[in-house]
Amino acid sequence: MAYTSNQLHVVYGDGSLGLGGTNFHYLFSYERGGLESLVVNSKEWLYRTPTPLFWRATTDNDHGNGFSVKSAQWYAADRFATCQDIQLTVDDQVVSPLPIAPLNNRYTNHEVADKVSLAYQFVTTTIPSTTVTITYTVTSDGMINVATHYAGQADLPELPAFGLRFVMPTAATGFDYTGLSGETYPDRMAGATKGQFHVDGLPVTPYLVPQECGMHMQAEAVTVTRSATQNNADRQNTPFSLSFSQVDGPFAFSCLPYTAAELENATHMEELPLERRTVLSIYGAVRGVGGIDSWGAEVEKPYRIPADKDIDFSFNIHF
Amino acid sequence: MQADLKWLDDPEVFRVNQLPAHSDHHYYHDTDELTSGSRFVKSLNGTWRFNFAKTPAERPLDFFKTDFDSRNFDTIQVPGHIELAGYGQIQYINTLYPWEGQIFRRPPYTLNSDQLEAGLFSDATDNTVGSYLKTFDLNDTFKDQRVIIQFQGVEEALYVWLNGHFVGYAEDSFTPSEFDLTPYLQDTDNLLAVRVYKRSTAAFIEDQDMFRFSGIFRDVNLMALPATHIVDLDIQPVVTNDYKDGILNVSTKLSGPAATLELKVTDNDGSVLATQTQTGADQVTFDTLSMVDIELWSPQAPNLYNLTIDVYSADNQLLEVVPYQFGFRQVELRDDKVIYVNNERLIINGVNRHEWNARTGRVITIAHMQADVQTMLDNNINADRTCHYPDQLPWYSLCDQAGIYLMAENNLESHGSWQKMGAIEPSYNVPGDNPHWLEAVLDRARSNYEWFKNHPSIIFWSLGNESYAGEDIAAMNAFYKEHDDSRLVHYEGVVHTPELKDRISDVESRMYETPDNIAAYLDDNPAKPFIDCEYMHDMGNSLGGMSSYNDLIDKYPMYQGGFIWDFIDQALFVHDSISNQEVLRYGGDFDERHSDYEFSGDGLLFADRTPKPAMQEVKYYYGLH
Repeated sequence: MAYTSNQLHVVYGDGSLGLGGTNFHYLFSYERGGLESLVVNSKEWLYRTPTPLFWRATTDNDHGNGFSVKSAQWYAADRFATCQDIQLTVDDQVVSPLPIAPLNNRYTNHEVADKVSLAYQFVTTTIPSTTVTITYTVTSDGMINVATHYAGQADLPELPAFGLRFVMPTAATGFDYTGLSGETYPDRMAGATKGQFHVDGLPVTPYLVPQECGMHMQAEAVTVTRSATQNNADRQNTPFSLSFSQVDGPFAFSCLPYTAAELENATHMEELPLERRTVLSIYGAVRGVGGIDSWGAEVEKPYRIPADKDIDFSFNIHF
Repeated sequence: MQADLKWLDDPEVFRVNQLPAHSDHHYYHDTDELTSGSRFVKSLNGTWRFNFAKTPAERPLDFFKTDFDSRNFDTIQVPGHIELAGYGQIQYINTLYPWEGQIFRRPPYTLNSDQLEAGLFSDATDNTVGSYLKTFDLNDTFKDQRVIIQFQGVEEALYVWLNGHFVGYAEDSFTPSEFDLTPYLQDTDNLLAVRVYKRSTAAFIEDQDMFRFSGIFRDVNLMALPATHIVDLDIQPVVTNDYKDGILNVSTKLSGPAATLELKVTDNDGSVLATQTQTGADQVTFDTLSMVDIELWSPQAPNLYNLTIDVYSADNQLLEVVPYQFGFRQVELRDDKVIYVNNERLIINGVNRHEWNARTGRVITIAHMQADVQTMLDNNINADRTCHYPDQLPWYSLCDQAGIYLMAENNLESHGSWQKMGAIEPSYNVPGDNPHWLEAVLDRARSNYEWFKNHPSIIFWSLGNESYAGEDIAAMNAFYKEHDDSRLVHYEGVVHTPELKDRISDVESRMYETPDNIAAYLDDNPAKPFIDCEYMHDMGNSLGGMSSYNDLIDKYPMYQGGFIWDFIDQALFVHDSISNQEVLRYGGDFDERHSDYEFSGDGLLFADRTPKPAMQEVKYYYGLH
């Protein structure tokens, strides 16, 4: 249909909520616990719904000081966190209960709104458990604000990382960002220069044993560029991009072809899977890498992520 | 004299018929050869005939005899590691001895044993043997001259024969070994035979954290000696008059008849600053030379002067030209317990550097050395600890020229004898207080000193690494104190035996000490200035928290910086048949056990010499002081 206003077209589906505009369409799934589809200019940006991220592939220092053992709960949490609650807000009005079938029969194909929010609450597999809430707020220009809240929980080990993981269907041709040069961590970023940087492809830093790598601290924005899709009907291969920008303050990110689990699995670079996707991780908290030694020394205290403190961060997705 | 296989088992036999260590100067027939190369040096690098035996018992016994039929020998490239040529298993291991769990073995004269153990290495199942043969002719320069052979590095014990005659035996893998071939030389068809054993008692004190190789891995040269030859050159520049002037003491040891030595000192513009002529034999010492308004050597301005000695025979024929670049710099440990160089507090922005190349192991070329120097300069690294052995000869001159401080370390590491699974357990430590091990380690100190004594870049002698401490290491310290008042002595391992601290090491050196503990030491009436001989362990994705060390520099004058561990990952390129790629492999990847696996990779550079991302951090902090 042709849109007649600058408002969001809201589709109250049976398993998801669709939000559309002139050149974008998003699906927020009730079944899959998150943003299932992010289409801009007919290009799909998501392979699976974004999930909370708690793990980083064990570094040599993590191995040496036993941090991965101490924080092992977060490895499972990273893989298996489940969505337990979804809250929908349309133009500042909470829609409760969720308008799933048959409640959605009251709508039409001509529903519109200026602003729609979906808050997905995840519960972790940790003992004790805690929650992470990811709130997507879409405005009529197609911008998605993503706000993430980690509820602090004492009696849990320090976090290896906290963020959101976006897996894109194909490997990026590269990315551009505004932030710090090189690979940086909270305890290793004094030597970086600020600026705008372009990175070709999705380089994995070739540490002898694949491990956490590619972090970019204090980024203001990152734009990922791809040229291929999985859509059989899409015969174009002209580059297309999606951007992630800071809201309240800078964020950290890495843009790699692998998840932390895939990196964790390999003992050599050549054991990593063929590069086929883009894994964009946006972090609200990053643990330092340490360096005093590789057989026991802790990361210095200011560079750790305590579990008992709330963590909030947000950013915008736009095109 | 006949070669004796039992020498492998005896720590008191480590050099047989070896020529004494001497300065690393080059010599030429005339000035033109300074650029074209010396006629007195003939490289024996290249293809040699080779036989590999898994054990000493399987070696070709008579291979050195002139009538030996070597048609079934293979060939091998010299220099090179036997293991990387496809013979012998590649192994990486850190502290434990390489025979861990395979062979029960203790160092001779430890654990109350007063005798050698027969066959400890000479009849061992893990002692592979390389038998090398090389045939050579003498060109005219070499005929009727004294000719010596120089092996710049052979792991770990070698026997040499020429034309069927036993020539000599050497240990100390990382120090040149020289033998006089003259008595057995012929003009053509000389048959040089070299037997290299992977292990000897030296294995107990060469337990460096590295890939364990064997073979002739550095250059081999034939060297003709002019009728009179400067065997040793000792240049002692001394800074005087409030760092403005200098005096220069030069002495030589000569072989051959008396000769006239014309000494000249020039600056880099070619201006002649001093000349002097002396005539004599055996030992010729020049009168002290004075120089005014000198340019000091420092990392910021590595000013060098050119010394040249022309040696003339009694009938006034030029016999040889010996050039050497030297520099003036003053190292002082003052009453305030702070080290100063040229009147400025020393700040070490250092790195530990193993010699490494991912294709050829510790066989590296001058191009690799130059690249490493450039990497250091590019990243504000001003100091290198030659961990844990003397490097190839050119490295020291390159550091003189580039302005990189050196901590010149002996070839000594025995942590397998006292450090087990992280615990300090010195029950069979060597060298310890052991008189039977004393001469071997003293010889290493002497060699390191004699070869490199003329290099301004060296500001510390380092007694070795992780070898605990006892009377033997105290004797090494004493050797340097007796011979050299222009440099300081460094040793870390005395931290475990504090009662020896007044006799070992001018500095309080520790490894991987936390910033808090360093501050605690410096707050508690410290006796010596502090240096991190190893810190910031850059294994994998590491090097976080460097600011805490940087803060110590600002807070404590007696904190004088440190050496990051380390410069380059140790890993080897291998073709992976699964992915059909060239890939990097580390410890344990050759099925060798026990191994310490990926611990071989702790570099600021990846094994292919590309910098790790952390390098920008090093450049930043090392640029602050």
